Amino acid sequence: MDALGIINFEDNVATVDGLGEYRPVPAMAFLGRYRIIDFILSNMTNSGINNVHVYCKEKPRNLFAHLGTGSHYNINEKRGQLRILFGEKSFSSPVYNNDVANFILNMQYIESDHNPYVVIAPSYFIYSINFNNVLEEHLKSKADVTILYTSTSDAKNSFLACDTLQMDENKRVTWFGKNRGNTKNKYISLEAYVMSKELFIDLVHKAAETSSLYWFKDILRDSEHELKIKGYQIKGYVRCINSLAKYYQTNMELRDRSVAASLFKADWPIYTQTNDSSPSTYAKGSSVKGSVIANGCKIDGTITDSIISRNVTVSKGAVVKDSIILPGSYIGENAKLDHVVVDKYAIIHHVKELVGTDEEPVYVKRRDRI
Amino acid sequence: MRPNLMAAMILAGGRGTRLYGLTKKVAKPAVHFGGKYRIIDFPLSNCANSGVNTVGVLTQYESVLLNAYVAKDQFWGLNTNDGGVYVLTPREKDTTGLEVYRGTADAITQNIDFLDQIDPEYLLILSGDHIYKMDYDDMLKTHKEMEADATIAVLEVSLKEASRFGIMNCDKKGMIKEFEEKPAHPKSNLASMGIYIFNYKTLRKYLMQDDKNEESSHDFGKDIIPTYLKDKKRLATYKFKGYWKDVGTIDSLWEANMDLLKNNNQLDLADESWKIYTENLNVLPAFIGEDASIDNAYITQGAVVLGMAKNSILGTNSYIGKDAKVIDSVINPGAKIGEGARVTRCIVADGVEIGPGVKVGSANSEHIELIDKKVME
Repeated sequence: MDALGIINFEDNVATVDGLGEYRPVPAMAFLGRYRIIDFILSNMTNSGINNVHVYCKEKPRNLFAHLGTGSHYNINEKRGQLRILFGEKSFSSPVYNNDVANFILNMQYIESDHNPYVVIAPSYFIYSINFNNVLEEHLKSKADVTILYTSTSDAKNSFLACDTLQMDENKRVTWFGKNRGNTKNKYISLEAYVMSKELFIDLVHKAAETSSLYWFKDILRDSEHELKIKGYQIKGYVRCINSLAKYYQTNMELRDRSVAASLFKADWPIYTQTNDSSPSTYAKGSSVKGSVIANGCKIDGTITDSIISRNVTVSKGAVVKDSIILPGSYIGENAKLDHVVVDKYAIIHHVKELVGTDEEPVYVKRRDRI
Repeated sequence: MRPNLMAAMILAGGRGTRLYGLTKKVAKPAVHFGGKYRIIDFPLSNCANSGVNTVGVLTQYESVLLNAYVAKDQFWGLNTNDGGVYVLTPREKDTTGLEVYRGTADAITQNIDFLDQIDPEYLLILSGDHIYKMDYDDMLKTHKEMEADATIAVLEVSLKEASRFGIMNCDKKGMIKEFEEKPAHPKSNLASMGIYIFNYKTLRKYLMQDDKNEESSHDFGKDIIPTYLKDKKRLATYKFKGYWKDVGTIDSLWEANMDLLKNNNQLDLADESWKIYTENLNVLPAFIGEDASIDNAYITQGAVVLGMAKNSILGTNSYIGKDAKVIDSVINPGAKIGEGARVTRCIVADGVEIGPGVKVGSANSEHIELIDKKVME
């Protein structure tokens, strides 16, 4: 595919409380063994995109460790390249640290790429898509920009603060709005765009000249009349991880194999970094039901309707229910967790009971000992 | 050559006749173990963990899958600048034509050109048939300290078992004085593990001589080691302590799998300091259904459990249907146990399907049953 892949970062509205303090959304652990960025990156490499720029707003450590050279995503290191890019100068305020400023600072890498097209997408939307089909449609429709969107009837609860689209009968975008959760049915922009590299570079410069606080989506909104912007609908599973509640709910619903099957397709593998953990041990007297369990776990207690990541210990007498336990955490004897998100390497030892809800799961900090 | 370089050669040509059913299409070293591993992952990971980066794998019998597998040296981190995994199969040569490997020593002799090119100071000979974790660098330390020409890793076995092994009779310092292959009346309980470190230059000379000897069976245990002893070469032992299993039969393969369920099992595959590496498969974590019942099991990612698993090992992408019962069994990668089926004391081979409601195996069987074909009724 003749396109440069650009994985953009999410705007400042999307914040996952707790987890977000330690890593950007793309680096968050997901469904036991993945990171959120695995989905968009696998979409790109499965589509044959071999040059990928990953823009990182802050805290790049996690992403560097997870992405490496990209060979585990099938990027041929000789032919293509995965670059992790960030604004190397410091920004006087987080509001200046927007995608446009980062694109400008790394413009030499965008300009020197030989591909005529760009595919730009953030990682906090989760879905499976073959970008070849999008590019094909983009060329056929002679659009300047093609935007991926999803149609939702749950806009009151989901995709809050996301961009919305209005389109004419030819799917030409006539209006960009915001989802303020006031109506049920909305077309939600996935902030994923296909266009020529030339136009992308023009728009980036135009955005920077207009306002130093402009995001790329702001300049697109301003250009809705001058440019032919068309929508491309994704019909399958789409979720946006822009809050702790959405992080929690999306993980939880994927415990259902039929839901998981709509995201994980047999001919469309989702790649991730391997950890070479051994299989998990389910001891005598343990009980596990309705759960997703990664490798390297030691389970002596009871687990119901939960997601247990790599190298987690659930001790005897512990009861983990409707919870997400991130890698390397330790749940001590007789601890009871209900609707809890436990961050990496936390130790739950003295506290014997934690109870949250679907909308407000309890969050236990990274490396915390409680 | 880098000074003090040790290269390894893994003998992986064995047919695994007694594992027939699992080895119809793959060589024994490629047989699955512990749900996600293959037997050859053990010596390869040991090499990686011991800093031995150059590894030749000598294959012969049904080796298409094995060759393709070990060639992906990045699985074990052996794709370093100075290292790699090299697949060495019998080949047609200018002077001899195509010859299969006549014995363990001959397999090395036939690839002496490969070794000369690497020019190692030490050569580590391994077998691709055993489940164990060993630090070969520590063994090399002993080899150097003892100023040996060759060092053999030995394991203490019971005197009763000793007649099944090659037995070393040693002096107080652990230098080998006598070697007996499968003695009826063993004098010692130190069994050879088939793991050798040789000074390459000396070994090369002996291999060349052995190659010309028409009476030789070209085997390390039967020919090379006895000749070393006859010539009063210094042969040291390296005592191995820890888990070691030759999984040569269906029963012993099953037992080794069951050992993983024991509390504090010695193999300890969860040890972060000595991981066993294997193929990275793009599979989901294990999915455990709402009505599943799991009691004492070892389950790897990709497995789907809707029924019951008791005292069992469930492999990558294995599937246990609703109301199915899997007891005291090993379900290999990709095997599918249909709804309501019962599997007791079995190894279900890779990708094999057991139909709905079908019963296989029995709680009172003397031997473990191997299910290597689809069973639909």
